[in-house]
Amino acid sequence: MTRIACVITATEPSTPTALLKVALAHSPRVENAGSARVYFDATGLEGLFGDEAQLGRRLREVAAAAGLDARVGIAGSRIAALAATRLGPSVAVVEPGGDAEYLAGAPLALLELPVEMMARLSRWGLRTLGELTALPTAGVFERLGGEGVRLQRVARGEDPRPLVSWKAAPLFEESVECEWGMESLEPVIERMHELAGRVCARLGASGLAADGFEWTCRLDGGRGHEGALTPAVPMTDPDAVGRLLRLALEARPPSGIVYAITLRAHPTRMAAVQESLTDRSRPNPRLLAATMNRLVALVGTDRIGAPALLDSHRPDAVGLHAYSPHPGPAQSPSSTGGEGRVRGTDPVLALRRLRPPAPAAVTLASGRPVALRSSRLTGRIVAGVGPWRASGEWWSRRPWLHDEWDVELADGTLCRLAHDGSAWHLAGIYD
Amino acid sequence: MAIPIESSPPPGWDREGIDGLLGLFPPGRLSEIVGPPRSSGGSSLLLALIARITASEREGGRSGQVAFVDGMDTLDPASVAAAGADLSELLWVKCGGRLRAALSAADLLTRCPGFSLVVLDVDELGPVPASAHLRLQRAVEGSDTILIVRSARHREGTPASLVLTARRLAPRWIGLRPLTRLGGLRTEVSVLRSRLHQTPVPALSPQGRGQGEGSCWTVDWML
Repeated sequence: MTRIACVITATEPSTPTALLKVALAHSPRVENAGSARVYFDATGLEGLFGDEAQLGRRLREVAAAAGLDARVGIAGSRIAALAATRLGPSVAVVEPGGDAEYLAGAPLALLELPVEMMARLSRWGLRTLGELTALPTAGVFERLGGEGVRLQRVARGEDPRPLVSWKAAPLFEESVECEWGMESLEPVIERMHELAGRVCARLGASGLAADGFEWTCRLDGGRGHEGALTPAVPMTDPDAVGRLLRLALEARPPSGIVYAITLRAHPTRMAAVQESLTDRSRPNPRLLAATMNRLVALVGTDRIGAPALLDSHRPDAVGLHAYSPHPGPAQSPSSTGGEGRVRGTDPVLALRRLRPPAPAAVTLASGRPVALRSSRLTGRIVAGVGPWRASGEWWSRRPWLHDEWDVELADGTLCRLAHDGSAWHLAGIYD
Repeated sequence: MAIPIESSPPPGWDREGIDGLLGLFPPGRLSEIVGPPRSSGGSSLLLALIARITASEREGGRSGQVAFVDGMDTLDPASVAAAGADLSELLWVKCGGRLRAALSAADLLTRCPGFSLVVLDVDELGPVPASAHLRLQRAVEGSDTILIVRSARHREGTPASLVLTARRLAPRWIGLRPLTRLGGLRTEVSVLRSRLHQTPVPALSPQGRGQGEGSCWTVDWML
């Protein structure tokens, strides 16, 4: 007969694994049910720790030594063991076969039901697990379906779900030491590349990829050098990782002789991408990640990405989102927000925006611009329409007001002028 | 010899003609669109191509990824979206007026397989060195990527397989005096050089137009 022990603490442990360590010191099969609760398999531990009451007391002592005020319940099921910790003394043991009787008076809240289900059972006037189990099973099934029957079984202490053993997250870390020290950057990069190969091999063997890398170098004089990189996509290709590490180290090299290097990877499960025979080819994620990193080094982080129209009428309200080459649901152009000018597949006249808008001197006649002088364009205005007035965000600290004119210069150039209330600007040139 | 072909009056959109024009750009080759970036229609032509590639999925085709290397940060995403492009399929690299950075970025992107179109828009940053042209041509060779350099002037001796020139014809204003709004721009696109089709190919539209040197299109871009 299976026996399950539940250990809870009244307060959150200082470290997430503190309670797990207490349980693992007594049983190899431990289920983590949150930072303040664990279950473990207490079957057959009499030979090691005495009877179940002695086991419970020992658990409390070990927990106290770790700075935890623990309560222990031992029963034949998880729910009964949990009820014992909540309703019984600090060490409570439910006799084998007595779970249903012990649970009969326990409150429904012990089942930790969703709010809707809890409200429904409350409306039926149910308060205890015993009242739930007393209902006819056929009627419960008619009203709650299979979930209702399952709850009845759990309320009787019949939980068929096995313990889900907790496993420590694997540590993907490799180190190398050089007694003679490395004075130049190239050998450091080579060692780092070797470490990347070993880490990536372990990741690949585990079916994982890395979405981040950290390294630590021990330098002369007891100093240290740390660095990290986050590839655009999870990676396991040692050559690609090596190239990224090279770029990162060249951008910020260690400032001294390197005696030891440690490389650590953050493991993550990489979703498989199914290539299509019919779709156009898309950039390889690993190659793209390396390319993106080089581009970021070239132009800067905030100057590369997928453009997105912001939900604003402010001229040139544009943001940059992270660029992802993975195919997703087709985005309707009308869903891109912005100024409501999205039309579809018409042949649209492009506007080349000047960023920032070029200051301009505009001559007016009868309130209409007749001449333009700016660093980009100068000339007589032969035709123009406007002003198109737009304003917004008057409720914020950055209110804006624009009068825009579309004008044609004498040489035929079409451009957009903007007046923000105080000065004229050349906002863009149609092309 | 240029063959002037007028498109219809407004709406002035000759889909067969523009499809033929956009279909000229060859994958795995360097192409150029030249013409001053001042109402010549070159940027509008680029946007139409970007829209055709990124949004073809909606028309039953296959969408592709586009990288736009923006030498002077002048791309207007609102115009791109208005042209029908899917912005999520567009990688925008802003180079802040640095020609060398723009050339390096285009080189990197061209060597990253999977992009259907890589655009290098150098605006008026200056002439692209011949060596850079050659390097870009070598980078794109053998790939499925269309590489287009948009510049103000054509430089003799470049290895571009296709060179299109764009020039404005006339703006289209809506309304009698006084005018009420700008309706669009009529431009002419002609083939200055083509190393793709040395012999005339069958007509693409009822009016007939070739793809060799001297062929030209008149396009009304709408605002």
